[in-house]
Amino acid sequence: MNPMVIVHLYGRDMNIYGDTGNVLALRRRLEWRDIPVRVDRVDVGDSYDLSTADLVVAGGGEDSAQMAIAGDLVARQDGVHEAVAAGVVFLTVCGTYQLFCRRFVTAAGTEIPGIGVFDAETIGGGRRMIGNIVVESPWGRLVGFENHSGRTMLASGQESLGQVVKGNGNNDQTADEGAITGNCFGTYLHGSVLPKNPALADELLRRALVRRGVANALTPLDDRVEAMAASAAAARP
Amino acid sequence: MRLRLAIAAGRLTALAARLVGRGGTALPGLVAERLDGRIIEKLVSGLPDGVVVVTGTNGKTTTTKMLVAILESSGRRVVANPTGSNLARGIATALIGVSRRGRVEGDVAVFEVDEAAVRQLGPRLEPRLVVVTNLARDQLDRYGELDTTAGHVAAAIAHASAAVLNGDDPLVSGLAGGVPAVRFGAVGAIRSTMPDDHSLYGGEAPAVADEPEALLVSSAPDGDGQRVVVRVDGQDVAVRLAVPGAYNGYNAAAAILAAWRLGVAPGSAVGALEAMPPAFGRGQFVDYRGRRIRLLLVKNPAGFNQVIRLLAEDHSPATVLVAINDELADGRDVSWLWDARVEELASTRHRYGAGGVRSADMALRFKYAGVEAWIESDFRRALDRAVDEAAEGETVYVVPTYTAMLRFLELLRPGVARSEAWS
Repeated sequence: MNPMVIVHLYGRDMNIYGDTGNVLALRRRLEWRDIPVRVDRVDVGDSYDLSTADLVVAGGGEDSAQMAIAGDLVARQDGVHEAVAAGVVFLTVCGTYQLFCRRFVTAAGTEIPGIGVFDAETIGGGRRMIGNIVVESPWGRLVGFENHSGRTMLASGQESLGQVVKGNGNNDQTADEGAITGNCFGTYLHGSVLPKNPALADELLRRALVRRGVANALTPLDDRVEAMAASAAAARP
Repeated sequence: MRLRLAIAAGRLTALAARLVGRGGTALPGLVAERLDGRIIEKLVSGLPDGVVVVTGTNGKTTTTKMLVAILESSGRRVVANPTGSNLARGIATALIGVSRRGRVEGDVAVFEVDEAAVRQLGPRLEPRLVVVTNLARDQLDRYGELDTTAGHVAAAIAHASAAVLNGDDPLVSGLAGGVPAVRFGAVGAIRSTMPDDHSLYGGEAPAVADEPEALLVSSAPDGDGQRVVVRVDGQDVAVRLAVPGAYNGYNAAAAILAAWRLGVAPGSAVGALEAMPPAFGRGQFVDYRGRRIRLLLVKNPAGFNQVIRLLAEDHSPATVLVAINDELADGRDVSWLWDARVEELASTRHRYGAGGVRSADMALRFKYAGVEAWIESDFRRALDRAVDEAAEGETVYVVPTYTAMLRFLELLRPGVARSEAWS
């Protein structure tokens, strides 16, 4: 088969908190199953048809980096919406998750427009939410680390990724964590999230492979170290 | 009067701490500062050669130690804060320790200052020189964003007479503002092995404009140490450092340049640098059960990459135990492990183990990098296993985060760890 294509979107600017680990997890879990894979990086200003990708991964960044990519994301929003509608699998973490919502209002009151893949909005400022986080999801317990001051409120009808068991998630008022629209996932979990949560990594891969008509390619892997790391993280403050 | 009282109270506190067997370095300074809030300002104003502040993400401790050694060998009486006590109270403690009758007995002070504390200390110390080793992302849950840290350092430099900056680090090179600055750097072949934060994350490193005032022209491993040549003022200074790695060549260049700005001829720095043993946990050797253990502290991805480079350049088989803790002093967030180039270790002949409170996270990082490693979260069992696996004459590298290092030192040198750790 043609290689599975993983796009690392804004890898240059949005890569804080080990987000490259998510790309690595997807790549290795394909390689370990002898499924060919290629990783393309797409940065600000690069033209790229995201509909041709199988998976798109985008991470968090410093405030200045988030400002730097916001305009580019708005400029390519039609392409993103087309790719999401076409079923391309997205994982957006922290800073890009916020920009995939409708808008982000910073602590200073500046409004950064998002692209509205998720029906949600984020208000910046206030106490930072920092620590290990545990979430119950349709793919079991997810464990990661959160570090954000933005509070994301989902509109009614917007599906979440899961419910917070420990930590804050989207905000400190509701139990919601993350968001899902079609095959597009958003989350505040880093750590990196996918290496420690192989069920979620495999769900993303499964959805991408279903589009290719080869869903049965996901043979089981030995995930004992992954499970140990998740348990250790869940027990820490 | 208040100053003398504060000094006396601080010294009494230090004496009491020693009597109960605690080597605490924070408390005397805290007590003295409580009695005289301007004790630091008053005491440093009596130093004829002023204050040097050393800050940055990695290399602060070793650079400080190098500069102190060079200045002392030139006959100056140097006041310095002990390793790890790099906040205001540690500086106050260091100053009152050498003060008599309200005056500090010293010629010059060299203070290692935490990046997060440097903004507040700039106006209080009015440094003659601020030395910035490098800036890279570090424990984001503690320090916050890198841009913020760079802002802290720039604010401190604004209160200095001059700056000594890493010219190869694009985040550092431009921090001088209107303050006169000299720079240290390395030739392209060395610079390319030392990724700055920018290139570490895939960006193109900006071109380096001018030849820096201190240029690291060569750097090669030499036994347990590093042989380096630093070109300063048209003169090549050749030094065999007892500390390993090209990154210590940068630290040496920074120290030689800073000392030169304080009036010490570059050539006369050699003896002091060669005699300087590794700082606490920074390449330090400890013998244990018939094996030589080398401690290499890691705190962040840039520092971890330097250690990875060093391990990759050691072609003799060794055992490597990487021990990751996530206590407050280490940073709670271990995501940074995924930013380090662990993949480079896959082609080495070393054996690897993962230890520490977050041993499983390190083992997972090894797994995805294609490096086989065992897991042992118990500190003594991990250390013993690493030693058991090492053949006669092989080095055991222990690569811990800060609090993991303290645990190992307790095991390796009971009783010594606490006094060496100072805090």
